Amino acid sequence: MPTSNQTNGDNWRQELEEIISGASGGFLFGIPLLYTMEVWFIGSSARPPFLLIVLIVTFTIIFLLNQIEGFRPQESATLPGAIAETTETLAIGMVCAGLMLFILGRIDFQTPLLETLGKVIFEGVPFSLGVTFSRSLLSGEEDDNSRSQKPSLSAKNNQHKSLWQDTLADFSATLIGALFIAFSIAPTDEIIVLSASASPFNLLIIITASLVVSYGIVFASSITNYKYRRQQQGLFQTPQSETIMSYVISLLAGMLMLWFFQKVTLGDSWFVWLRYSIILALPASIGGAAGRLAV
Amino acid sequence: MQKKTPKQSFAERISFSVSLFIVSIIFFLVCFTWITGDNNPPILSVTTSSNIRHVKKQYYLPFTIINSGGETAESVEIVAKLLSRDLDIETGRQQVDFLSRQEKKSGEFIFNHNPTEGKLTIRVASYKLP
Repeated sequence: MPTSNQTNGDNWRQELEEIISGASGGFLFGIPLLYTMEVWFIGSSARPPFLLIVLIVTFTIIFLLNQIEGFRPQESATLPGAIAETTETLAIGMVCAGLMLFILGRIDFQTPLLETLGKVIFEGVPFSLGVTFSRSLLSGEEDDNSRSQKPSLSAKNNQHKSLWQDTLADFSATLIGALFIAFSIAPTDEIIVLSASASPFNLLIIITASLVVSYGIVFASSITNYKYRRQQQGLFQTPQSETIMSYVISLLAGMLMLWFFQKVTLGDSWFVWLRYSIILALPASIGGAAGRLAV
Repeated sequence: MQKKTPKQSFAERISFSVSLFIVSIIFFLVCFTWITGDNNPPILSVTTSSNIRHVKKQYYLPFTIINSGGETAESVEIVAKLLSRDLDIETGRQQVDFLSRQEKKSGEFIFNHNPTEGKLTIRVASYKLP
């Protein structure tokens, strides 16, 4: 029989998992707009009355969406529950957007309050919508039956062959996911603008954020298929190795995309290649993490 | 997706309280900036520093531009003109994409002659409203 301490611990763990799942959906949906200069500019010049209208409209839309969706698998069937979930959704979206804006150097402690609010609110809208859709964006529930049979099938096959097949599948999924999100960002000037303002310390923070968000999307989310994934074989199958290897793939894919769009050339110094790739690897690794959920 | 409706746990109540606090703070700050806001047009001023760098026969003159008005200025153009002692004229231009209320931006103009030994004119030439 579970003790009250155990139940309490389970509640906290479930709560944390739901919040991380919601935040992961927010990152997946919000990251392309985070790399859009026009949104920063709109946020910079927005007036307070307009920001209030944006907040109220977003709250209403999320409230309505929470009647059928929402990042929690329970609760929003009642009116107070729906209001609470909407508030939480908005808070998660705004905090994630604010953190990413800070990491990318779009806001800092010198930024005027109104400009900070404008950027956080405008970038927070897609993040909050992503939080609302997180269960749909990240869920692997519908494939559970087919997945549950897969380990027994692979057990019949040669284990060595399966290891490389699974590794190749994960590699391909990461690459496709990275391309899906980052290919439309690679040719834009935002990469150059963000890179120009990033110090080496900022770049280290961006690398850490890429790894943490990628890890969060695939492993910490309670609503993804991670339990199944841990039964799979291949070189990607410990949380640390998967996150690191996927980041390396995202970084290399980012370099190729930048080269493809002539944002970097062979005549550029290695540091330019590295800076641009680290900036692009943030959305690429988020896409890659989402791509691996589909494997 | 179909949702269940179990009782709210202590952890959920805590995260709701934190979320309510964050959203309330955002609402409060927006209202605060609205009430205390200045609706005057941008007032742009540019200042230079005496801390000039001399590197590889070039002089780097630092400047800071500030918007002390109420509204945001877009495409702010700063023009610097240096008339040296041998009557050479050097001009430099800078464009700042956005300058919000009370925002400062800094940069440097680069001249071949020493700005302290000539006649330097630096001014904000134009801006547009977003």
